[in-house]
Amino acid sequence: MMDQTPLLRIKGLTLHFDEGRTKALNGVDLEVRAGEFVAIVGPSGSGKSSLLNVIGTLDQPSSGEISFRAQSYAELKDSSLFRRAHIGFVFQSFHLIPTLSALDNVIVATIGCDGATGEHRARATELLTQLGLRDRLGHFPGKLSGGERQRVAIARALINRPEMVLADEPTGSLDSANAAQVLDMLTGIVKQQGLTLIMVTHDASVSARADRIIHMRDGRIEHEVTA
Amino acid sequence: MNLFRFALDNLYRRPARTMLTVSAIALGIAAVVALTSIAWGFEASWQRANDARGTDLIVTRMASENTMPSPFRAEQVQQVVSQLPHVQEVVGLLSEMLTVSQDAPPMFVFGWVHGSYLWEHLKLQEGRWPNKSNEQVVVIGTLAGEMLHKKVGDTVEIEGRIFPVVGIFESPALVENGALILTLDQAQQVTDKPGKVNVLNIKVDSDTGEADLARIKEQVKTSLPGFMAITSGELVSKNAVVRISKAMSNATILIAGLVGALVVFNTMLMSINERTREIGILLALGWQRATIMKLIVSEAMILSLVGGVLGILLGVGIAWGLEHIELMRGKIDAIFSVPFFFAVLGLSVVLGVSGGAYPAFKASRLLPSSALRQE
Repeated sequence: MMDQTPLLRIKGLTLHFDEGRTKALNGVDLEVRAGEFVAIVGPSGSGKSSLLNVIGTLDQPSSGEISFRAQSYAELKDSSLFRRAHIGFVFQSFHLIPTLSALDNVIVATIGCDGATGEHRARATELLTQLGLRDRLGHFPGKLSGGERQRVAIARALINRPEMVLADEPTGSLDSANAAQVLDMLTGIVKQQGLTLIMVTHDASVSARADRIIHMRDGRIEHEVTA
Repeated sequence: MNLFRFALDNLYRRPARTMLTVSAIALGIAAVVALTSIAWGFEASWQRANDARGTDLIVTRMASENTMPSPFRAEQVQQVVSQLPHVQEVVGLLSEMLTVSQDAPPMFVFGWVHGSYLWEHLKLQEGRWPNKSNEQVVVIGTLAGEMLHKKVGDTVEIEGRIFPVVGIFESPALVENGALILTLDQAQQVTDKPGKVNVLNIKVDSDTGEADLARIKEQVKTSLPGFMAITSGELVSKNAVVRISKAMSNATILIAGLVGALVVFNTMLMSINERTREIGILLALGWQRATIMKLIVSEAMILSLVGGVLGILLGVGIAWGLEHIELMRGKIDAIFSVPFFFAVLGLSVVLGVSGGAYPAFKASRLLPSSALRQE
């Protein structure tokens, strides 16, 4: 049973660049419930990734209100700590660190966190195993396929037990077979752990799995479709 | 995986650049270690020679700035000094740097008053001491014997005169081990400085306190215009060569410090520019800005500490090499100590922190979203 309380509340959100000449977001209102899978779709430049960046505190909005569990982003003392505690990111181009093994790429997200190194290692191993990479722990990103790299990135996003996963075109760099496998694994784990998933995608087959599809255009939400 | 391991991995990524940076730091630190240890060693070596002789005060010309102060007529000065309270013995000393063999570099030749206390600290290894003050013989230090390939029974030529080697001695001071000693009379004759000495060595009685020594100094100053009485430590630290070598070592510390910090700064700045997107990833993963700073400063400190350790080893090697080249043998005795090595490592840490601080700050201020867009 999905929690009906909004996890994330966004009201009148704008994001302007170049002293207001570029309007990436232009008055977005959105509520996301805990445990919901929301797909954000729309043409290039419609503001999908910008919205994801603001939700993930990677960008600061120009105006508007955004809150997570009723905690306003404007009141956050340290956005890094907030990200670490609540948010996991999965990017289109994986963004793995080339000099670290698959296991270390996951553990690197725990550096500076509380808890013993052994615990982090055990959890990273468990996640990678769950994602079918048990025999790839010591492999470097250069020796992994695109699908495997994205699975490492998913494990990294989940290592700190976030409540919300933000995925920006996670299957955009994968062939259809790998894309389907990665998507199955991501949605499977998210559902199993009861996490909220907000995913930017161009792929209709991906958005079709979402609980709700948000259509964006010109920095605004054009309309939304509930499954 | 921890911060330190991650920092090491990052440095290992560009081995050539890391090696060059470490080498530059190591060279700077080596120069600091070699010059400083030699400067201290030079000072300590002369101090040790004066201390070993048991001299309490030295009378010299006020304007002298050398380890071998300019000579003066001893007789009148000696008479005045001998009358001062607590003064037990006053003996003249003449020293010169002379060429005594075409195959060896110039060496110290000392002239000491025959039978004076100056000879007491030497250990005769072979042969005998001069029998009388006008005997034309020489005794040589063990190192001098080795450098000149001379033994008892051989002769050495000093300023055109032939001196039989009658004894070989060992001294606790390197400068004396590498020297030749004549009686003062013979030294004055051979250097054509009859009646002259470079310094008068004063030995005081056992009841003499610090206040008495200060009074003697004052009395010498007032009763002998142009002369002064100082301790051996004061004579050495007043020495122009010691002061120049210390100034050079300080200048080297400053230059090596600045160059080292700039090298670390440049390397770390290049490194963070190359890794902008990666820093963006770490920020996106929830790394705090302080953790990013720690990472960059750790990398800078690893570079400078490894450079520091290698620099110490290289510096010790250079100093050892300089001690053993023919021209310098018996003249310098580099001094190393554990506190000095820790101070050098401390300097390395300062290099790392100061060179890495701005790049670390810059990296920590990156905006995650724009850093992630960086190619």
